[in-house]
Amino acid sequence: MQTENAIMASNLTKKYGDLVAVDHINFEVKKGEIFGFLGPNGAGKTTTIRMLTGVSSPTEGTATITGYDIQRQTVEAKEQMGIVPDISNVYNELSAWDNLIFTGRLYDMPKKFRESRAEELLKMFGLYERRNEKVQGFSRGMKRRVCIAMALMNRSSVLFLDEPTSGLDVQSVIIIRDLIRKLNEDGLTIFLTTHNIEEASQMCDRIAIINHGRIAAIDTPEKLKRTVEGLQSVEVAFETTLPDTLKALEELPSVSEVVRQGDKFRLFTNDPSSVIASTWNYVQSNNLKLVTLNTVGPSLEDVFVKLTGIRLATENEEPGQNVGTEGQRAIMEGRKR
Amino acid sequence: MKNPYSRHLGREARVAWAITVKDMRTYYTRPASVMFGILFPFSLFLSFSIGRSTPLAQQIPVLVAQTLFFGSSSIGPVVIPSERANQTFDRFLTSPVSLLAVLMGKTLAGIIYGAGISVIPILVGMVFFESQIANIGALIACMALSSLAFSAMGIMFASIPGQSPGQVMMPLNFVRIPLLFISGVYIPVRELPFWGQVLSMASPLTHTIELARYASGGETFFGPVVNIAVLTIYAALFLFMGIRFHVMNQRKE
Repeated sequence: MQTENAIMASNLTKKYGDLVAVDHINFEVKKGEIFGFLGPNGAGKTTTIRMLTGVSSPTEGTATITGYDIQRQTVEAKEQMGIVPDISNVYNELSAWDNLIFTGRLYDMPKKFRESRAEELLKMFGLYERRNEKVQGFSRGMKRRVCIAMALMNRSSVLFLDEPTSGLDVQSVIIIRDLIRKLNEDGLTIFLTTHNIEEASQMCDRIAIINHGRIAAIDTPEKLKRTVEGLQSVEVAFETTLPDTLKALEELPSVSEVVRQGDKFRLFTNDPSSVIASTWNYVQSNNLKLVTLNTVGPSLEDVFVKLTGIRLATENEEPGQNVGTEGQRAIMEGRKR
Repeated sequence: MKNPYSRHLGREARVAWAITVKDMRTYYTRPASVMFGILFPFSLFLSFSIGRSTPLAQQIPVLVAQTLFFGSSSIGPVVIPSERANQTFDRFLTSPVSLLAVLMGKTLAGIIYGAGISVIPILVGMVFFESQIANIGALIACMALSSLAFSAMGIMFASIPGQSPGQVMMPLNFVRIPLLFISGVYIPVRELPFWGQVLSMASPLTHTIELARYASGGETFFGPVVNIAVLTIYAALFLFMGIRFHVMNQRKE
């Protein structure tokens, strides 16, 4: 089936009684794309994945995988996808090799093909030397690699990754991110759910932010950041600080909020040059020494905070609503508070 | 050239068998399987048979029936909640295979477990206690139908939402243990009052014991035809209900 979209969700809705977990969401993921799916806990990320992968039936709407309807052409759609859930659901009692071979058998792959594919994947994932060891003795990062390899056994064209690097050590995170990039370079479409905003920013071609079951925004990471350009900030670090430094910085003109980040202070403002000048005055009048003074553009985290309101939502601000200029003002006011 | 329907059936059968083999390798030696499927029936048998005047050869059919009953019905309640807990059950739901094939694979794992264990008392009886197989057909029917019915019963109970075998074993034992007392295990059916005989008729375990006794040259109260018919009905009923409950569970997802 020829289609440009690897995944398409149309009016996808899931209700549990009166609770609307996912509320008429629409999006497309193009072939070969890394698509990030961000949202706070309980926003509807996992429910969406469960509908897209056929585990759960939508109350309304449809989803297609490479053009196959997940409800009506279930077998064809499932043959196109591999799934890595948020926990590594491997068979601990089986060896890495047997885990992959069993997955091949679930997809009814002929013996010759499943053995050659298992060998290829275990070599690619650096696990071939330990293929005959039971997975229960593997580290968390190795189990994660086995789990991803299992998802690729059927030469899937779409890979769903739910929090792939969550809870892993730095080395495993680097290995897995490199693997994901390599798989994507080879043409695999990746649907990535993550809490790690920096990871999404670095890896994804486009990002959807979901909140309260609704899509709050979909765009490239850079374009999303541009939507909150008003949220600029000045980052400052002093050699030594005074007991009232935080309070003094909060009282500087044009500063809407000050957030302490380790040994640095981040001063949110709409007017960075004025804040730099007043910060310099504060430094001189108190005989302090500057270590760092930077202007910082809005991060994807700022976009996320703005759209989901997880830190700042007020009663008047409907969570998930695209808040625009008024919303930005609300955010600034929220930070002042 | 095979038609699409037979290709589909062939695929489903191969996947079901793959699941059976995986369950055999992964769950047969799990403590819960050994405890509820092997130790439980043997301990119960020994505690009620030691000190009795009945020759052991005559008690072998009771042990065969108990191992079929406990062994076959224990696999589903061990496997399915464990797989729910570590999310490996989701692997089946996201694979291009029907829920029916998955449940058939798991039912077959229970059948092989129960039937396999029940062979032990048969062999021990023949080698050490001079018990004999008088009707091999009745023995095969007893083992095949009973293990199918009890394995399907375990699968049906495993539809109870839970993520540990204990959550399923507890309600299952509420049913399994009382059945022992109305099925002619400890008191022969003919010695029961009329209402007891009616209750006994409704228990699938009664018909397993009766067929096992008949196969070893003993008597049956209801007759082998009734025994086979009742076990067939129970096998079909448990399979149907088990599949239905699991489908209902998945729809609630």
